[in-house]
Amino acid sequence: MSALQERQELLHHIRDAVVDYDEEVTVELCSNAIQVGLDAYDVVANGLALGMEEVGQLYEQKEYFVPEVLMCSDAFYAGLQHLKPHIRSDAATGSGQVIIGTVEGDVHDIGKNLVKLMLEAAGFVVHDLGKDVPLDKFVQEQQRTGADIIALSALMTTSMLAIPVVIEKMRAVNPNVKILIGGAPVSQESVDLYGADGYAETAARAVDEARRLLDLPYQE
Amino acid sequence: MAMPSPPRQETMAPHERMGAIMMGQKPDRVPFSPFIFGFCAKNVGLPVSTVYEDAEKSFFAQLRTAEMYGYDGAPLYGYASYGGWEFGGDIKMPRSRWEQAPVVAHYPVESEEDVDRLELPDVERAGSLPISMTFSRLQEKFGMPITVQLVGVVTLVGELCSVDRMCRWMIKRPELVHKLMRKAVDHLVDVAKLWVDTFPVERMQPFVGDATSANQVISPKQFEEFALPYQKEVHEKVLDMGVMSMFNHICGEQNLNLPFWRQIPHGRDGVPGILSFGHEVDLTTAIEMFGEDNIIAGNVEPRLIQNGTPEEVFAACVACLEKGKQAPNYRYMLMAGCEVPVEAPPYNLFTMRKAVMEHGFYD
Amino acid sequence: MHTGNTPTVADRLVRLIHGEAPERVPFVPFILGFCAKDAGYPVSVTYEDAEKSFYTQLHTAEKYGFDGTPLYFYASYGAWEFGGEVKMPQSQWEQATMITQHPAESPEAVEALELPPVGATGSVPLALAFSRYQAEHQLPVIGAPQVGVFTAAGNISGVSKLARWLIKQPETAHTLLRKATDHLVDTVGLWVEHFDPAQVLPFIGEPTASNQIISPQQFETFVLPYQRELHEKILDMGINSIVCHICGDQTANLPHWQQIPFSRDGFPGLLSFDHRVDLQQAIDLFGADNIITGNVEPRMIQDGSPDEVYHLCVEKITIGKTAPRGYVLMSGCEVPVQAPPDNIRAMVQAIEDHGYYR
Repeated sequence: MSALQERQELLHHIRDAVVDYDEEVTVELCSNAIQVGLDAYDVVANGLALGMEEVGQLYEQKEYFVPEVLMCSDAFYAGLQHLKPHIRSDAATGSGQVIIGTVEGDVHDIGKNLVKLMLEAAGFVVHDLGKDVPLDKFVQEQQRTGADIIALSALMTTSMLAIPVVIEKMRAVNPNVKILIGGAPVSQESVDLYGADGYAETAARAVDEARRLLDLPYQE
Repeated sequence: MAMPSPPRQETMAPHERMGAIMMGQKPDRVPFSPFIFGFCAKNVGLPVSTVYEDAEKSFFAQLRTAEMYGYDGAPLYGYASYGGWEFGGDIKMPRSRWEQAPVVAHYPVESEEDVDRLELPDVERAGSLPISMTFSRLQEKFGMPITVQLVGVVTLVGELCSVDRMCRWMIKRPELVHKLMRKAVDHLVDVAKLWVDTFPVERMQPFVGDATSANQVISPKQFEEFALPYQKEVHEKVLDMGVMSMFNHICGEQNLNLPFWRQIPHGRDGVPGILSFGHEVDLTTAIEMFGEDNIIAGNVEPRLIQNGTPEEVFAACVACLEKGKQAPNYRYMLMAGCEVPVEAPPYNLFTMRKAVMEHGFYD
Repeated sequence: MHTGNTPTVADRLVRLIHGEAPERVPFVPFILGFCAKDAGYPVSVTYEDAEKSFYTQLHTAEKYGFDGTPLYFYASYGAWEFGGEVKMPQSQWEQATMITQHPAESPEAVEALELPPVGATGSVPLALAFSRYQAEHQLPVIGAPQVGVFTAAGNISGVSKLARWLIKQPETAHTLLRKATDHLVDTVGLWVEHFDPAQVLPFIGEPTASNQIISPQQFETFVLPYQRELHEKILDMGINSIVCHICGDQTANLPHWQQIPFSRDGFPGLLSFDHRVDLQQAIDLFGADNIITGNVEPRMIQDGSPDEVYHLCVEKITIGKTAPRGYVLMSGCEVPVQAPPDNIRAMVQAIEDHGYYR
């Protein structure tokens, strides 16, 4: 088997292991990949991340539900944890930086965590502020990091009303930052109503939307 | 809005009820006009600033809220800091949830020299006047009284040069205050004229709100010297244009000014003006002093409407209704002593309506 | 259930439950924190002060002309009751009680988890006090258990944990669901002890079992048996009808819900649906035995114009009127605390204009 074939096969297995939410196999395969000399970043981008992309699609197709997706994310993170020390510092893709959080008044973070994961899998640098995040904190964090996108999540109709407040605060300081919104009560209409830049119904779509906002090419 | 088994059936529409008391005829019950602005925007899900920035939304927010709560007051455009923006200063619209109304951010008169330099604005373009005009067109279209705001002269001058400067000048440089008063009067007359030229004069009922002349700010002597002659001139000139009735909100603690307000005409040819009082003025006193020629409106304490329990609000309304029903010729309407607070619990407004339904009917 | 001569705010609803054809569709909006705000209280009184919670709801119903009826409910039920911690809504962005600490986040903790003493923990004493006001005012005693088994379990362990256990450690999930079910049954028993079972309408909200979280297969394995047991045991206590809010997108779960009883002795159950479930489908599947309620999208009640809300309600009323056992106009989930009051009036207007049966 050529080195090229070996790489492809290994990455393929890693992708499958994530989709099959097999944490142990994922870590084992990542370990093999490093041993045979594959680039760690290549393994993340073309193995683990592609696995998560497929997971996202399965969720959209209602093949997978939250339990499966969470298990897949555990496998993804286990693999990533193993690869991280081997990633060369110059390997960052420059996809962009995202600040993410569930807005003040809301402690629901499953969806937010999935979006974070998908963004990370797609190469974004994600600053996660957690849940029930005071509104000013989003702005402060953007000022500190210079992030390109703020991703706001809300699951309650009431906390959803904090979204336009963050947008107003952010625009006042830096009108160029892109605002991505999501969560059960949020819709495409909310984008216009609240003056956001993008919306995604699912975590997988959030990645496409983030790429669109930053004029980044779509990846297959 | 549901009214669980009203003790009495209403037999008049709001405009009939208001019409009756204007003519000194018996209405079915005391009219209820809460004096309410920003609350209405919130009630329909709009920011409070809409009431001041967007004539159409302001009008319909007020109209819908009146329908919802079943009160008689018609939509009204106005704001107490009128003047600063219209004369070329800047205004800041209410943005945070703690803000109720616009405030002047930059005064057109900030020095003695500015007084002479101050020019009368073009009333077709200045500040809030185009918004006010659009609002009045809606009032006309809907057959309601056309209520252009002609703010009180002391309030207006206070918004031109800031209240503290005006107060200092009243003592140190009275001639500057007189100069500003002169300009204020001329401006208000200009505004009234534009409206009289635009709308049927018999439909007009200019709205005068005067907060800054309260005795919490100036003395009755200062009122007599700086307010009375100018305020009187405005009213006389407006009534001379053919306007029959003015709606005057005498805001705050004005007990010591009341004798001067008596010297100012509010209606003519037997048509009453409307005088609304803050809770600081006793309703019975107001009726005794002004009730012969005017409709008296008031004066449920706004703080109570915001912070009181429904029982307290109800009791306060009943107390007003009992006094108000003693006014000659049924010339009384229930109103808050000043604007109903934006943050007032909606249920307390409903309670006011309940009080009118239970204690406001005439036998 | 009170069927005396004095009409209450719940009169129309009560008559419908007793099989009387009402002159118009009842309107029960599903409204909690909004009522506290309307009366000038912080939203938290809805959850921490039974008296204020009850009276703000009653007054708001009277003010707007709803068909009642006050209710003590919060979707985070389970955490506090099993010894975890919750935070009352404080800021203007908060709508309801939130869990700050789950009582059993590991399989070991689930094993060790003890059933709390009945009626002594968390919100149960508040809910019980609330029900006393309901009884005193001759209103339906809509009380425990507040939530379904899966939601209670998710609140005890955290939803992410429970979701993982469904795959990784199903036995832990079953243990937790067993305990949640037993607790909920016990709690309903408390209501039967204190009130006439014929007046009691247990309320069950089930958001976590929605297909946004779990699959219909997982529902079948982990929710159906326990939820059915809960309902059967409730009905065995002499209770006639259960009110069930099937929250979120549960379209794929509906065949399973069909296997769960909601009432007995010919009484209808009350099933409330989220806007994500098609109302016609709900009527087709459940309408023969149950009163169908729903399902105006809450986001529209908050962000829509009065006209949009009005038309949405008319659309629902038109479909709902064909329900054989009756229909109640309701929001698809709790009316948002920040909804413009004028939009509630639009809902009342829609009922007045289009709710009457010819």
